[in-house]
Amino acid sequence: MPGLKPVTYEQYALANGLSVILHRDSASPVAAVMVMYHAGSRNETPGRTGLAHLFEHLMFKGSEHVADGDHFRLLQEIGAMVNGSTSEDRTNYYEVVPSNCLELALWLESDRMGFLPGAVDQAKLDNQRDVVKNERRQNYDNVPYGTSYETIAREVYGPGHPYSWPVIGSMEDLSAASLEDVKGFFRTYYAPNNACIVLAGDFPRNQAMDWIGKYFDPLPRGITLTKSALSPAVLAEDKHLVSEENVALPRLFLAWPGPSRGTRDDALLDILTTILSSGKNSRLYRPLVFEKKIAQSVNAYTEGKEIAGMVTIDATAKPGTGLGEVEKCVHEVIERLFADGVTDREIEAAYNGKEAQLAGRLTTALGIAGGLATSFTLTGDAENFNREITRFQGITPEEVLAAGRRIFSSRHMTLNVVPRGRSSLASPAAAWELTYAGLPAPPAPAGTP
Amino acid sequence: MTALNAPSRLLDRTRRPPLEPLPRVTLPPVQKRELSNGLPIRLVEQHSNPQVVISIVLQSGGAVDPRGKSGTAALTAELLDAGTGSRDALGISESVEFIGASLSFRAGVDATFGSLLTLNRHLGEGIALFADILANPIFPLREFERLKAHRLTSLVEQKDRAATVASNAFMRVIYGEEHPYGMDPSGTEESVSGLTRDDVCGFYAEHYGPSNATLIVVGDTTMADIISLLERQLGHWKGAPRRAAITIPPPQAAPRRVYLIDRPGAPQSEIRIGSPALARNSPDYFPATVMNRVLGGQFSSRINMNLREKRGLTYGARSAFIFLKQPGPFMVAGGFTGSGTGEAAEQLLLEIGAMHREGVTDQELEFSRMGLSGGFALSFETPFQVAGALQNIVLYGLPDDYYERYIQSLASVTSGDVIRVARATLDPDAMAILVVADAAGTKGGLESLGRGEVIMLDTGGAPR
Repeated sequence: MPGLKPVTYEQYALANGLSVILHRDSASPVAAVMVMYHAGSRNETPGRTGLAHLFEHLMFKGSEHVADGDHFRLLQEIGAMVNGSTSEDRTNYYEVVPSNCLELALWLESDRMGFLPGAVDQAKLDNQRDVVKNERRQNYDNVPYGTSYETIAREVYGPGHPYSWPVIGSMEDLSAASLEDVKGFFRTYYAPNNACIVLAGDFPRNQAMDWIGKYFDPLPRGITLTKSALSPAVLAEDKHLVSEENVALPRLFLAWPGPSRGTRDDALLDILTTILSSGKNSRLYRPLVFEKKIAQSVNAYTEGKEIAGMVTIDATAKPGTGLGEVEKCVHEVIERLFADGVTDREIEAAYNGKEAQLAGRLTTALGIAGGLATSFTLTGDAENFNREITRFQGITPEEVLAAGRRIFSSRHMTLNVVPRGRSSLASPAAAWELTYAGLPAPPAPAGTP
Repeated sequence: MTALNAPSRLLDRTRRPPLEPLPRVTLPPVQKRELSNGLPIRLVEQHSNPQVVISIVLQSGGAVDPRGKSGTAALTAELLDAGTGSRDALGISESVEFIGASLSFRAGVDATFGSLLTLNRHLGEGIALFADILANPIFPLREFERLKAHRLTSLVEQKDRAATVASNAFMRVIYGEEHPYGMDPSGTEESVSGLTRDDVCGFYAEHYGPSNATLIVVGDTTMADIISLLERQLGHWKGAPRRAAITIPPPQAAPRRVYLIDRPGAPQSEIRIGSPALARNSPDYFPATVMNRVLGGQFSSRINMNLREKRGLTYGARSAFIFLKQPGPFMVAGGFTGSGTGEAAEQLLLEIGAMHREGVTDQELEFSRMGLSGGFALSFETPFQVAGALQNIVLYGLPDDYYERYIQSLASVTSGDVIRVARATLDPDAMAILVVADAAGTKGGLESLGRGEVIMLDTGGAPR
């Protein structure tokens, strides 16, 4: 089977520990620059949730040699695409620039990597605190089911787990964040040896390397951070929650502790959840949405992060349908899955979907930069980006089923989001006993948490 | 220790790197053919990735829904893949999934768009599926009933989303429910409830056909590779003789009032301000675009810098001209702190008013023209981006050399052009204000805007 061409790149490190990854492609007159720091919300401490993301906002408010407002102004003057994002595990900053404007991007990124603290003051912090609170209102609090993930992560990962609090943070903690917190976070995590810079697109190689040396070489190495150990979540017992919210339709969430990123089980469950919910013929969609019409939508997904993961199924009920009926149908589907197995054709279709998805990421310089930066940061090896497709090859139905059994026979949490005053639409609290639950789960392959 | 570790000051970091001239964008040629039934084909080869997009633009969308039957074009588009003479809904879905393709048919206001994205090694199968769905749909009654019920539930769900409620109600307020642009193409619960399978079949018969459509192909293929496939699969497609151009009435000025949709306990207020403005083929397209980039079209715009970076009232506020076949709206939009709703609306009006009266400075003009030119270099990376550019030409009747002349068109915009367009399109006193918010906490602030009593609407945008 002809596959996608692997992404070629060269990689080296500066004396201060900054990893540099270069991928050249002259198809479009575009260059993407991405700087990724190995720091995210899991590096926060309780009482200061949301700090990593609030910090990301401050990175756009100027640094010692770049005035407030200039970061965006200078890049938008040349039509660049500019943004950043924070996850549990990492924070990234990027700009896609017309190909001969690369030096500007490198100057700006190096200045905020080396010279941020002197430019941060109380007024900027207070302003961006208000902006982030509005981001929370806009993307979570004023959106249907917008806080469901926060609840699920809290319950599945459990108190004290670094994935148990939301990246956006709580309003209370955002209010509490101080200038000293911000500067401390910078001192610890924003150092060349805790970051990588990836260039992708159309740029002159030697010139780019010279500029990277000129702007980044002088920055001092920071403290050495130790790699975090895996910390898979475990539920001692099933949990059942009901939440009345401003929604028209009830939605059921079922969540299980899952494998971390890049493990074999992560790949197997990715294939399995695709078979469960992608397309009209999928195992869940067909009975729930297409045939019985008891649900408006259904999704299954696995989310492997750096130190732990989670597998989730959600289904939104049709008006008037109780979530108990939806849950019953979901469980029947899973029981039938274990009775009948999955087919080679289902696995091949899921693989083809993965390949097409990856091909889409490879069409843009930013997609390639993001893929290389993420693989490098979270796995220590940029080459794992090229394994994003090979890791889905040679998967057998038996393996998929075994991985599914490991998940679905373990304890899970149920969240019922129902319209206000309609808690009667929630699923029954009694634990649903699956007929396969008595079967011993096959042992996990070596290396799987 | 700190001194030893301090970054070297030898490099003068205050000196920003020199501004280089922007790269020349070489646009790939557009190859044109026509099938034996007259269906125009446009192909752009893009061999950097093994992907191909096949896209059809049909010159009919929600704006030509029959009166009282809003949602017909949308439901017709959605039903295309629900069954053909030789494939049923599940069979089509399985085939599309199996090759890892993405298939979508949807109706916008002015047009219906269909697209299939596939890896080139599945292109033959992809074209066969796409053509079958487009030319031979049978609209099975059971599927019609299923999708209609699905759509009705989506319309219920949609009311939970303050931003969607606000944008839809805003269009209804500034165009009026009698105008085709006043109704969202997905329709209302009332209009969709009344639709029958005959409505869908009728819409298909009237609007779908080679004389009302253009097929666009972009990606890793050649004309030689696809033309005989297309001829075999679509050459027989008949129907929909060229129809007389549909006239959409010119919109009226927006009422100078404040409309409020109550969302009790909402932590944020969604605000929309604007009025009908310009059509896509207006000669004022470039001045308006240059002006809007300064006003609210990018992060460092006046509106965002004031409302977000200075006042912290929002995560982001923006403005846009939505260019359609007939004059589409100018709209300012954002979600704002509930307690700052009145202040936000007032500041947005001040920013619009300042642009209306004074236009842009020479510096802003240059900043905006240059940014748009730089952004142009970033606009043709993916097959979808290129297909989108071709769709614009086809749909709005733009000249074939539109993108070749794009940079030049931007460069010729003067501050005189901007002020002329600002005076014509940005009069705050000719704009309506639509807010979705907690009424108890925001009504007072909105009344102090001096636009009379606040008019309460329901979630569909109708007077309560």
